[in-house]
Amino acid sequence: MFRYFQIAARNLWQHRLRTSLVGLAVALVTAVFVLLTGISNGTQNTMITASTTLLTGHINVAGFYKVTPGQGAPVVTEAKKVRAIIEKEVPEVESIVERGRGWARLVSDSSSLQVGLAGIDIETEKGFDGVLQIESGDLSKMKETDAVLLFQKQAEKLGYKENGKKVPVKVGDRLTISAPTPRGTNNTLDVTVVAIAKDMGLMSQFSIFMNNTGLRRLYQMNDDTTGALQIQVKHFNPNDRTGLTALRERIGKVLQQHNYTLLDNNKPVPFWMKFQDITRESWTGQRIDLTLWSDEASFLENFAKIISVLFGMVIFTLVVIVSIGIFAVMWVAVRERTREIGTLRAIGMQRFSVMTMFQVEGVILGVIGALAGAVMGLAIAGLLNAAHIKIAEGMQLFLFSDHLILLPTANLVAWGVGIITVVIGLASIVPSVIASLKKPVEAMSHSG
Amino acid sequence: MDTIVSIRDVVKEYSLGKVVVPALRGVNLEVKKGEFISIAGPSGSGKTTLLNLIGCVDTATRGLVSVTGQDTAQLSESALTRLRLNTIGFIFQSFNLVSVLTVYQNVEFPLLLQRKLNGAQRKERVTQLLTQVGLLDHAKHRPNELSGGQRQRVAIARALVADPQIVLADEPTANLDSATGAAIIDLMKELNHTKGTTFIFSTHDHRVMQHAQSVVRLADGLISGRETAAQAVAHSLGVEQAKAS
Ligand SMILES: Nc1ncnc2c1ncn2[C@@H]1O[C@H](COP(=O)(O)OP(=O)(O)OP(=O)(O)O)[C@@H](O)[C@H]1O
Ligand SMILES: [Mg+2]
Repeated sequence: MFRYFQIAARNLWQHRLRTSLVGLAVALVTAVFVLLTGISNGTQNTMITASTTLLTGHINVAGFYKVTPGQGAPVVTEAKKVRAIIEKEVPEVESIVERGRGWARLVSDSSSLQVGLAGIDIETEKGFDGVLQIESGDLSKMKETDAVLLFQKQAEKLGYKENGKKVPVKVGDRLTISAPTPRGTNNTLDVTVVAIAKDMGLMSQFSIFMNNTGLRRLYQMNDDTTGALQIQVKHFNPNDRTGLTALRERIGKVLQQHNYTLLDNNKPVPFWMKFQDITRESWTGQRIDLTLWSDEASFLENFAKIISVLFGMVIFTLVVIVSIGIFAVMWVAVRERTREIGTLRAIGMQRFSVMTMFQVEGVILGVIGALAGAVMGLAIAGLLNAAHIKIAEGMQLFLFSDHLILLPTANLVAWGVGIITVVIGLASIVPSVIASLKKPVEAMSHSG
Repeated sequence: MDTIVSIRDVVKEYSLGKVVVPALRGVNLEVKKGEFISIAGPSGSGKTTLLNLIGCVDTATRGLVSVTGQDTAQLSESALTRLRLNTIGFIFQSFNLVSVLTVYQNVEFPLLLQRKLNGAQRKERVTQLLTQVGLLDHAKHRPNELSGGQRQRVAIARALVADPQIVLADEPTANLDSATGAAIIDLMKELNHTKGTTFIFSTHDHRVMQHAQSVVRLADGLISGRETAAQAVAHSLGVEQAKAS
């Protein structure tokens, strides 16, 4: 076997130019694989970290309260009691934060904006300052009742034009939140911008953060009513959906034992997409809705998936092209060495060994190319990360960040090298088999 | 003496599209162990075809080809390959060495395919063969660094390294000048003497023929006679004189 390696390696070396061109193609494809999966994974990761910090818990105990069948509010009443039950009976829970939920118009002197409201208690929130990049202002001021936090683009939209120049809303500016009530009137609350954060793509498009007490005041809710209890679980693994689903099931059982009614509707969508369905149902009173982070972030996840699919298609195409290249090169090698094949078969080499000899050559080419490509890809990924490259605005929406983040994990790189090597191995099988099937006499009389 | 190759009523036809080309048209031949025989005949007479059948790299259209007592028509492809590996050595007109391997590695190759000897034993065997063909100090060279005669001597060493019972050589001297060719034949003859290996080689050069124990004469796909070397040489010279006059 060692001799086959030697023959293969020396033949590759003898045709250095050809070998290096095809090897380079393999390497480039592998590098592209590493980069694209790195971006995709980076995006996914950013999306998960950011959404599970800003948008949703790993599991959310939320729900709707309906006074009449047609009027629903996204609230959980008796929040303290529910919280106590869960803390007592579900040991997997790491921590619970309360979030208020709402949907209102944010009004400035010159303009207004429809936004989702997320009421937070900044002192209980974890990881906020790690995920949000504060452009101006002070996150800790969110503890003041009239505090709101905006994202840059929202601040721009709410701003005004002066001499043709846009002047965005600044920290310290006063705004008004106006929320419609079922009675057809509006509740309003005057608020102060205490911080402006960098945009985070889709995640920062539709909602703002405000003080939770302020939000309660806006909706005239009592202290024991909240939008959602966001649960952070111990040892969270975003890929373990079954584990998380099972845990949600258990929490549901526990709450049912304490006479809470669960919402039947278990669509994997964020809460604001459920209103229509819920107001059509005939029940009234409180129903609990247990959701996973992936439900609340599903609208984001779909974009992450689209990116994966697009990148997957690009990679697939490149792999096909490079396979054709390998196929052609091996084909030529077999043709060139037809006499040699004939000779070796004549002196007693079995068909299978001839196939192995050529297969080894293809695989060496593939492995070396793929490994070189992986190194290349990782190096480029490192450089791109270090360069902190700004993403075009349109793309920011889907990458959930204002700069390019590549996260090529060892796992992904190993997969890339593995897949590409296997595909190249497959691509060289046909030429190798053709080589092995040549009749010795005919092969030896082959000229050229 | 034992018969090692036995050919009976062998017909070999090649089909070129719809045309059937008869290369051998009923050949009978017995070769005994330890013989050193030459197959002579003009171009197109069927020499290569006959050697290919004996060498188990091709099969007869009709008739019996038996090598070391085995009917080659009955053997599978892989059994034929094993037979070639273990009992037959090949020397080719254009040497056919593996260009990316050194002289040493070329000679060693059949031993690697056989998997019978360990590294040390292989080394001993290859060294012995390279010494016999006088190329030990070229062991690390690549074939393209050698002259034609040297290459053919490497090929001889490769053909003999696995200690085959039969060595087949199709015009082994055709690509060599006559002095080198004669030296190659001498080397083959010496190995035939010392080891008792059967040699069958084809040629249409009477200077080469004269070294053979006997000469099998092929013409137009038929064996026209079997002569001693002296008769054969006289015969060829006669033919040439006849042509000249
Ligand atoms: N693969 C083939 N296909 C068709 N015809 C063939 C093939 N090989 C040989 N022949 C024909 O068979 C006949 C014998 O050929 P062969 O090669 O055995 O002759 P030879 O005696 O070796 O000739 P030379 O001295 O030129 O090598 C010739 O007529 C040749 O044209
Ligand atoms: Mg011939």
